[in-house]
Amino acid sequence: MMNSGSLTGGRSWPSRTSLTSSGKRIQKEMAELNTDPPADCSAGPKGDNLYHWVATLFGPQGTPYDGGIYFLDITFPANYPFKPPKVVFKTRIYHCNVDSTGNVSLDILEENSWSPALTISKVLLALRSIFTNPNPYKPQVPGIAHLYLVDRSKHDALAAEWTQRFAK
Amino acid sequence: MNQPLKEGRTRQSSFRVIYPPMGYDSIPIAASNAKEFGKKKRVNRAAKLKQSKLDVRREQWLSQVKNKGCKEETNGVSGVKMPAERNDINPSGEENEGLRNLCSDSESPFNSPMSSVFGSNRSPSHFTSNSSSSSSSGGCCSESMTEEDDGDNECLDDWEAIADALAADDIKNDNLESPEPDSVTATMEASQDDCCARAWRADDVFRPQSLPNLLKQNSFPCFKNVCSPSTCPICCEDLDLTDTSFLPCPCGYRLCLFCHKRILEDDGRCPGCRKQYDHHGPGNLSSKMGRSYSMIPRR
Repeated sequence: MMNSGSLTGGRSWPSRTSLTSSGKRIQKEMAELNTDPPADCSAGPKGDNLYHWVATLFGPQGTPYDGGIYFLDITFPANYPFKPPKVVFKTRIYHCNVDSTGNVSLDILEENSWSPALTISKVLLALRSIFTNPNPYKPQVPGIAHLYLVDRSKHDALAAEWTQRFAK
Repeated sequence: MNQPLKEGRTRQSSFRVIYPPMGYDSIPIAASNAKEFGKKKRVNRAAKLKQSKLDVRREQWLSQVKNKGCKEETNGVSGVKMPAERNDINPSGEENEGLRNLCSDSESPFNSPMSSVFGSNRSPSHFTSNSSSSSSSGGCCSESMTEEDDGDNECLDDWEAIADALAADDIKNDNLESPEPDSVTATMEASQDDCCARAWRADDVFRPQSLPNLLKQNSFPCFKNVCSPSTCPICCEDLDLTDTSFLPCPCGYRLCLFCHKRILEDDGRCPGCRKQYDHHGPGNLSSKMGRSYSMIPRR
């Protein structure tokens, strides 16, 4: 099962036993995340597929997301780290940079801004930073961004309500 | 008592490896010495040699990091890190005598101007307070000699040195320093740093004009590894010797040739600073790399 990944057409990711360069890199990142995890985050492979991770972020204190637990799917492309991983929020969140399907607008995750020197650990840190500092000027949901700019307290109240409803 | 001293001296000799100024001119001369001297050494403590070499080389790298930022003129100051290792020449005076004889036999054209220079640089008080002042000139000779002794297999064990030196602990250094008498330490620090850390001083009339001082230090592959990772940060494969001497971008971000090639085929931007590799021109590249650069497609 493990070493037949590329033979059985159903699996599109490289097999785990014959490590590609991306596999080795991902394994190293996994080991580093285990030994030195960033604060309030965790991430690791979902199952035995090295290219499909699930990450957990805790809403930081002092934000309307405080107390929320946010699950994210991280999918590594086969040519990682030359191309950025894809990150999708699986937990609903009221945030101008995350749309209703969980797509995130985060500059370092865009193909032009991504650098192979970046790691999942840094991606998690960047994701955490948009909890505290949403970027309303590059929104995924313009309505939320607008509310964030014109009526911050209402925005925060709504976000806190969503946190209670979806992220606990 | 004898054994640790010998071992200490072996380290001492490895320690000399990287000092640049002697490098070019003394190669043919010291090669013969290295053979003679190497036989003895390899028979007795071939096994210990490698470990001690690594320790010492690691020390060397650390001190070079400090030295690099300084000008030649400030060498006396920047070399303060080194005296501890250098001092343990002294207790093993007999060996140094032997070394010195060896050197003066075959290195006469070079030895005489050198030692006269060293002598003039050192104040008399250092000689009197030193129980074995002669060993300082011996140290200089062994420096030039053992430099080549290590130099010939430099390329072979370089990668091991990288890996092992990172993991090496400092306990070895404590052992190394313990046999030296404290009284000597103070005076030796000042005197030997000036003259032995370099064969020539910056303002030395005997120093050949053609001698590239910092150039060699910078191009020495071992030194690079102090500030560069031992594996490619992109693909996590081990960097080989060519990779470690490969500096594709002035920002200092290092990666293996394979990843570099791949990036050139893609957007061609340095992962570290996100600037185009092309902007820096291939001159820097080809001069550093020569053969390996031919792997990269020119655009």
